[in-house]
Amino acid sequence: MSGGYDDELSRPLEGALEASTSEGPTSPAVGRDEWVARHGDNRTRRGGLLGTVEARLRVVPWWAWLATFVALFCLLPVASDSGYVRRVAFDIAIYMLLALGLNVVVGWGGLLDLGYIAFFGIGAYAYAFLSSDHYGIHLPSFVSIPLVVVIGATTGFLVGLPSRRLTGDYLAIVTLFFLLLFLTVTTNGDDLFGHNVTGGANGLLNADPLSLFGHELPPTLEGGLFNPAYMYVVLAVFVVVYVALRFVNLSRTGRAWRSLREDPLAAEVMGMPVNSLKLMSFAFGAAIAALSGTFVTMLSASVFPLSFSFPLLIIIYTMVILGGSGSQPGVVLGAVLIGTLLELLRDPGDSRVLFYAAIVLGVLGAFRFSVKLAVVVAGTFVFGFVAHSIAGASDNAWVNGSGGEGGGVADFAANWVIVPVHVAAWVAPVSYVSLVALALVLTLLHGWARIALLIPVLYLAAFVWENVMIAQPEPTRYIILGVILIALMIFRPTGLLGEKRVEII
Amino acid sequence: MAEKLLELQGISMAFGGLKCIQALDLDVGEGEIVSVIGPNGAGKTTLFNLITGVYQPTGGDIVFAGKSITGLEPHQITRRGIARTFQTLRLFLNMSVRENVMAAAYGHTKAGVFRSMLRTPGMRREEQEIRELAEKRLAFFGDRLMGYRWDQPAYSLSYANRRRLEIARATATNPRLLLLDEPAAGMNPKETQEITDLISLLRTEGGYTILVIEHDMHVVEGISDRVIALNHGIKIAEGSFDEVATSPQVVEAYLGTGGMAKK
Amino acid sequence: MDTFIQLTLNGLTLGSVYALIALGYSLVYGILKLLNFAHGDVFMVGTFIGFGAIQLLGGTVNPIVPVWTLLILITLAAMAGCAVLGVVIERFAYRPLRDAPRIAPLISALGVSFFIAYSMQLLFGSELRNYDTFSLDGGALYLEGFDIGNVRVPMIRIITIVSAFVMMILLWLLVSRTRVGKAMRATSFDREAAAMMGIDIDKVIVFAFVLGSALAGAAGVLFALRIPTYATIGFLIGLKGFTAAVIGGIGSIPGAMAGGLVLGFAESYAQGYISTRWSDLLVFVILILFLVFRPQGILGKADIRKV
Repeated sequence: MSGGYDDELSRPLEGALEASTSEGPTSPAVGRDEWVARHGDNRTRRGGLLGTVEARLRVVPWWAWLATFVALFCLLPVASDSGYVRRVAFDIAIYMLLALGLNVVVGWGGLLDLGYIAFFGIGAYAYAFLSSDHYGIHLPSFVSIPLVVVIGATTGFLVGLPSRRLTGDYLAIVTLFFLLLFLTVTTNGDDLFGHNVTGGANGLLNADPLSLFGHELPPTLEGGLFNPAYMYVVLAVFVVVYVALRFVNLSRTGRAWRSLREDPLAAEVMGMPVNSLKLMSFAFGAAIAALSGTFVTMLSASVFPLSFSFPLLIIIYTMVILGGSGSQPGVVLGAVLIGTLLELLRDPGDSRVLFYAAIVLGVLGAFRFSVKLAVVVAGTFVFGFVAHSIAGASDNAWVNGSGGEGGGVADFAANWVIVPVHVAAWVAPVSYVSLVALALVLTLLHGWARIALLIPVLYLAAFVWENVMIAQPEPTRYIILGVILIALMIFRPTGLLGEKRVEII
Repeated sequence: MAEKLLELQGISMAFGGLKCIQALDLDVGEGEIVSVIGPNGAGKTTLFNLITGVYQPTGGDIVFAGKSITGLEPHQITRRGIARTFQTLRLFLNMSVRENVMAAAYGHTKAGVFRSMLRTPGMRREEQEIRELAEKRLAFFGDRLMGYRWDQPAYSLSYANRRRLEIARATATNPRLLLLDEPAAGMNPKETQEITDLISLLRTEGGYTILVIEHDMHVVEGISDRVIALNHGIKIAEGSFDEVATSPQVVEAYLGTGGMAKK
Repeated sequence: MDTFIQLTLNGLTLGSVYALIALGYSLVYGILKLLNFAHGDVFMVGTFIGFGAIQLLGGTVNPIVPVWTLLILITLAAMAGCAVLGVVIERFAYRPLRDAPRIAPLISALGVSFFIAYSMQLLFGSELRNYDTFSLDGGALYLEGFDIGNVRVPMIRIITIVSAFVMMILLWLLVSRTRVGKAMRATSFDREAAAMMGIDIDKVIVFAFVLGSALAGAAGVLFALRIPTYATIGFLIGLKGFTAAVIGGIGSIPGAMAGGLVLGFAESYAQGYISTRWSDLLVFVILILFLVFRPQGILGKADIRKV
């Protein structure tokens, strides 16, 4: 039965179309592409007012988003003359740069690079070598910065070299060990074969500030305030890097990166040199990290090994994954959110407000406006006041321990949560471990059982927060990061702005 | 026969002690359509993996267009002009249909990273060319992969369309030799007929030489200039479809030693 | 010569602890192909449970039970506690991700590791915790023992080495001789095929976590008998355990033992003959070289790329 059809290819297709439309002209046939496509649309598109807003927002071009974002960011130092806010804005701008770089490696190259922070450190140290008193070399910034970027890219290339033999988690381990190697060398580098190379744990001091066209930008203004010019410089660098990377992502290189992330073997067989492409993404990420490192050294005029530790790596990873690995606007959003969150958690007042806001928003998001919401809110309030008054009635010392910052929220908390004057040593571990255990049990329950348990869990959470966590911002920050990472992987691996992805095996 | 485009000289392949291909000689002439048949496990897909460089042969030499390609990386071999499809369908599922095809143009395009960053006129021109090439390759399939489907992600395609997209993607590497691994697998009779016609069209209009693995004997009969039968990695018959289909070894390989019936 | 014996002894003690940790990595990796970053933190929790158990039993100066009972009880407590922790981690952080892309459970594992380490720091602070085993029986564990040349081999090291090896041999027997061990090996070979043969995959995975975590708990106590512990110790020790697993050939039980010993000796000799500052560096370099040039390890087998 060969050659029974016309040469024209469309002919047999008409037959197929007829067959499928026989069910009625408007209903797309099950199993056909149209149906699949429309099904996808139905799921992603919202209806109503929100849908209209979303559709409108989608039409706004990327550069308009970027310009608005940068403009708002620029206004920060103007809106607030607090040196603290400006300093935080600078840190967040650095985070944004770092997240953009990591996104190239993880989001586009699909490589789990756990040594990323080492390149940040290499950039910081390289700048200090090239422009400080340590070796007496004082290259001007327009020479040293490009040099540092080249050094970063080269090291990235060299570390990435074994990636041709290593896949997935093995590469993760090799890069992680590279980070540890970097930390060991910098920490003990004050006695490297008898030479003081890295200054050891004391770091390198007196690095040069940024010099632009012969003018030096002092890191601090008169009165010891942080110089916002540095924030503008980093922001400008951020815009350049963002746009350049966006263009790369839209080119054949970007397509090849995405292809190799989808299926490395198919990409290789379709003519893409997978290993060199991986190396390229590695080197790119490293170069951006090194570039960010230079600004950190300039601003603090010094560099210490402890600034490049494992927790920082996890922070950057959380940013990239929360925002949506692979999406440039996503990782920037992630950097801003996590950066702000970590700052807010430093201050007991801010973190208290943040905690209750998160609880309220979480409950609201989980139940929307429904009877269940009313039950949970009312139940939690009543539970709290009853527990508080019982405890207060038996002994006033049980409830008089509070009194912190946070305005109205603190007043509310003082009258609602039990905060004993003196917390016995066993209270913290017992309450914390039961909170974790109950929260885990909560995920196993459904329906009203879940709601019944949710009320004491919420109260217990508030208790733990007020009595255990609020006083120790450092571990609390990292605990929250850990929880965010696990929860994201389980409930929303695409992050906030990541593309919907399917894995068909 | 026309000039030999692909020549396998005594190729052997073994995984540990398991010999998949043993001293196989095979050649494909310029402009030919050659089919490889054989029972499951005969070494057909291994053969494709050897030609495309995914596996390195344990012995023998592969010559393409007069030059040895043994030991080259898969992407280098693709650049020399060999493209393939996968039996198990390995599309870039989360990329759009058009991007799938555009990605395959990587090997014969040049714009580097720095030119892309600056969006130089040359880079933009090349990008436009890639886009046109992709659309042309997709247009080859009539309205099957046309219009609105270009911007859909590949995972939204039906099974048959995924097979078509695999072929479109392979042709976007601008190959001389096209290796098709079971192009009609999982298709209904109508689609099978369409793919049969299409393979002929790929030769006449696309100008590709084609080596195809196929289980569907109607397809093999409809397209092949020459048929090669493999069993246990050994060539057991070669010739026209009728010669191979009636060869006693082939009948035995498919039906076992006691088999009496002829296809 | 004495130095050499002393260093060998150090290496053996250290290596047997590494080997126990490596076994946990190997068991889980063999079955789930998951690099369980949180394993080192399970170890750390083990060291803390042991510490807590000693306090509950009256401290080391004046314990309410005999010394040997004390040692066995704290080890059992740590093993049980860690086994529960391991099961909880598997159930809530890894099981939902079993069919996700490879990178997802890896990141989840990083999150778990962070969560556990800093939860401990939150609850118990970041200062060093010392078991103070020297006070047990007036230092008998350190003073008694036998001599090799001029080097004294104290009881406490004998305890560590012997109990580690006993546990390793028991595990090996369990995996090679029993039904559940066969199920584990089948699952690590081909999970889907094993499931089709009627093996309850969930049970096998939970069992692997129970075994691995219990061994980590035991390793924790054996380690902390001599060396003070702290909340974030798990990261580095865990990495060394993983290194040992890789050097030996990940997924292989004898390999994990061999890898642990190799690493222990390397670290000990490096500390003794080169310098304590750079001994970690040597460990890292060994691992990187192994990963790059022999990723299948000493006793592992190379994979064939399937298409």
